[in-house]
Amino acid sequence: MVINPTHLAQTTRASVNWQDASRRAILSYRAWQRSAPEIVKTYALNVPLSAVRAKIRQEFERHRYVQQLPVADMLITKSNMEYQETLNYWKQIPHIMKYFRVEEDPKARVSSNFMNNFLEGRN
Amino acid sequence: MSSFRASWAILTRRPAMLVAPTRNPSNFVRYKSTELKGVVTQPNSPTNSAGTLDIHLVPDHATSAYSPVPVPSEVRGPDEPLDVGAFSGAPIDLKSRTVRIFKPAKPATQSGNWNGRQWRMDWDVLGKGHRWENSLMGWQSSGDPMQGTHIFFKTKEDAIHFAEKQGYEWFIQEPNERGFKPKAYASNFYHSPKKLKVIRTK
Repeated sequence: MVINPTHLAQTTRASVNWQDASRRAILSYRAWQRSAPEIVKTYALNVPLSAVRAKIRQEFERHRYVQQLPVADMLITKSNMEYQETLNYWKQIPHIMKYFRVEEDPKARVSSNFMNNFLEGRN
Repeated sequence: MSSFRASWAILTRRPAMLVAPTRNPSNFVRYKSTELKGVVTQPNSPTNSAGTLDIHLVPDHATSAYSPVPVPSEVRGPDEPLDVGAFSGAPIDLKSRTVRIFKPAKPATQSGNWNGRQWRMDWDVLGKGHRWENSLMGWQSSGDPMQGTHIFFKTKEDAIHFAEKQGYEWFIQEPNERGFKPKAYASNFYHSPKKLKVIRTK
């Protein structure tokens, strides 16, 4: 079975300015959203497609307010790397399900107040 | 697109429900009703009008019993140290630990103090699980993965810059520098008009 290591690979580059960076981020986001049905099908996930789409959106929204261009560059690069690994079927189901840990595992949620954390036994 | 927007609306507006985790496809209800976690909607104002913290801490991939009170990571300006901690992939309990920056003290020996020329960064001791006696052999067990890890820097500013980049809480312990009084042998023989306190010559 031939594995093409450069399929979906992106050349390393730094963004010239913010316009370039937002263009690259949007391209990456569109690629992820377009590939959501294929991810659900190839990995045979029990997660509904809408949840995968929302999760992609969530992961991008998490870094919406980054103001440092090198940090944004690195995030875009990581997004592209993850995309390549996911679509080439180099990952496995547990790797994809890491993103859904909050929904799957009730203990993963950290409460925002001290008392709940104390009662759960968190240091 | 509209169906995506509809499912997005469902996910943001329904309150969270705790459901036992199974991989049964008929349990899709938890995806329709859980709130989106880890989305910082207002980066600089985590406290809402009621005065309680409104932060959803991003959960870690690994299991850890050490979970800090969620502190909002402020959005850094372009001139501040790069926010490497955002994408470093380090676990939450590592990113939230305090770090001690110091110059190692000279041991009470007559050897030199070459080690005291560099700045060292140590991870602070954990409250629980730092060290206990192993019940089998009495060896020292530890639950702290960073307990033997040290990073060395040439200057204090380098160490602070690194800690800032990674998002660690840091504090500096200033060294006790030795004072040195230059002496000259000839000062033993200086004339003193008063009575000498200590006679240094024969």
